[in-house]
Amino acid sequence: MEAFINAPAAAAPHAGEYLLASTPDDPSVVLGTPIFTTEQRNEGFWAAPPIPPLWKPGTRLRLAGPLGQGFSLPGGIQRLGLAALGETTARLRPVIDQFAASQTGMTLFTDLPLPQIPSSLEAYPLASLVEALDWPDFMVMDVPSERLPELRGLLHLPDRADLPCPAQVLVTMPMPCAGLARCGACAIPSRRGWKLVCEDGPVFDLRQLKW
Amino acid sequence: MPKHDLSLHPPLMNAAGTLGFAPDLHSAVDWSRLGAFITNPVSLAPRTPARGQRFTVFPGGYLLHTGYPNPGLSHVIRHYASHWKRSPIPVVVHLFTRSAEELSEMVQRLEALDGVTGLEIGVTSEADADSVEALVQAASGELPVVMRLPMEGAAELAGIAIHSGATAISLAPPRGELPSLSGNLNQGRLYGPAIFPLALRMTHELSQQSIPIIAAGGVTTRQDVEAMLAAGAMAVQLDSALWRDAGYNFLA
Repeated sequence: MEAFINAPAAAAPHAGEYLLASTPDDPSVVLGTPIFTTEQRNEGFWAAPPIPPLWKPGTRLRLAGPLGQGFSLPGGIQRLGLAALGETTARLRPVIDQFAASQTGMTLFTDLPLPQIPSSLEAYPLASLVEALDWPDFMVMDVPSERLPELRGLLHLPDRADLPCPAQVLVTMPMPCAGLARCGACAIPSRRGWKLVCEDGPVFDLRQLKW
Repeated sequence: MPKHDLSLHPPLMNAAGTLGFAPDLHSAVDWSRLGAFITNPVSLAPRTPARGQRFTVFPGGYLLHTGYPNPGLSHVIRHYASHWKRSPIPVVVHLFTRSAEELSEMVQRLEALDGVTGLEIGVTSEADADSVEALVQAASGELPVVMRLPMEGAAELAGIAIHSGATAISLAPPRGELPSLSGNLNQGRLYGPAIFPLALRMTHELSQQSIPIIAAGGVTTRQDVEAMLAAGAMAVQLDSALWRDAGYNFLA
């Protein structure tokens, strides 16, 4: 389930960035919730699932951010591959929308149920990505941190081999301090030491990560 | 006796590990809301993040096991000493080590800096009376020393720490275990409002023994802060309440 959040247009995070949302009227909630945009509107934005079950229509939220590093896609992409391995495809939606009206070909690989998607987007099961790896000239992925180690196996890539094309990956995992403390709870290994998903990410160049 | 006092006005501070290594002067935080800034834990040598599952939720709180990653004292001094000097509020550097010799070396390096107002020394849950006494003596010098004792052992160790020369006691989160996703047991520090009754009881118990106590653990609301002060705390530390809304409720 997505949620519509009334907020000034400037508050909406860019693709891959997040806001920390808390409920000032319910202090029993222990930590804030990172939320990602799926679609921006004049009067607010749609937030990607998962949405806390305690949030109801009319729930007042306090929003901090935007936080983190989002997608930064180069110009000239001809064939964009997308892959969603987490619990939703919604966090990739702003990227899809960015290219929907362009000449860029787009293919989404996922085993998740698909919401309404633009006609310019083809969709295939995740397993099909193995045979299609040579097709994209850029990949955008949404991957929970615990599934990063299985990515090479899933794509039938040898150890330490990279994807044939550049890729940016949105890594999801709990971020309890949301960058306030650099507490280390969301640290992941990269080729240049440890990186924090909350602050250095959540979007990384896949080639910079040890995966 | 330390050359400097540990004066905490207002009697509110962040707990070690909750706001980084120095006050971020570009943030929206109103630093005058805090009587002191406690740095992230600093060890002599660099430490990397803990392996495995680091964060597990339970009703009323969560278990955290980060390994207190930090770049080591030399790096921290190089990058943050100038920030400490410019800080609008007193800076207390949190150090942790099991070795009194290491601690002594760290303290000497910090005493030479202008911006450090005090020290907080993290004590592990395995520490006994002898090791606490040795750590206090190693840390004692020009700066006030707060000994951060494990909540489980604070009643036993607080008196020893104060008699050995510590200025005050603060409370570290209690440790616990929870099943991980893989079925193993995850160990770590416990945070959240579920901890508050335990922390309040320990604060009350220590204050009745005339121990200068900086309360911490599960403080979520301003009412919690007031309850801790009413129980005899000289100040209160905030931990995950700051993370909940990027510090807005207490610091904006």
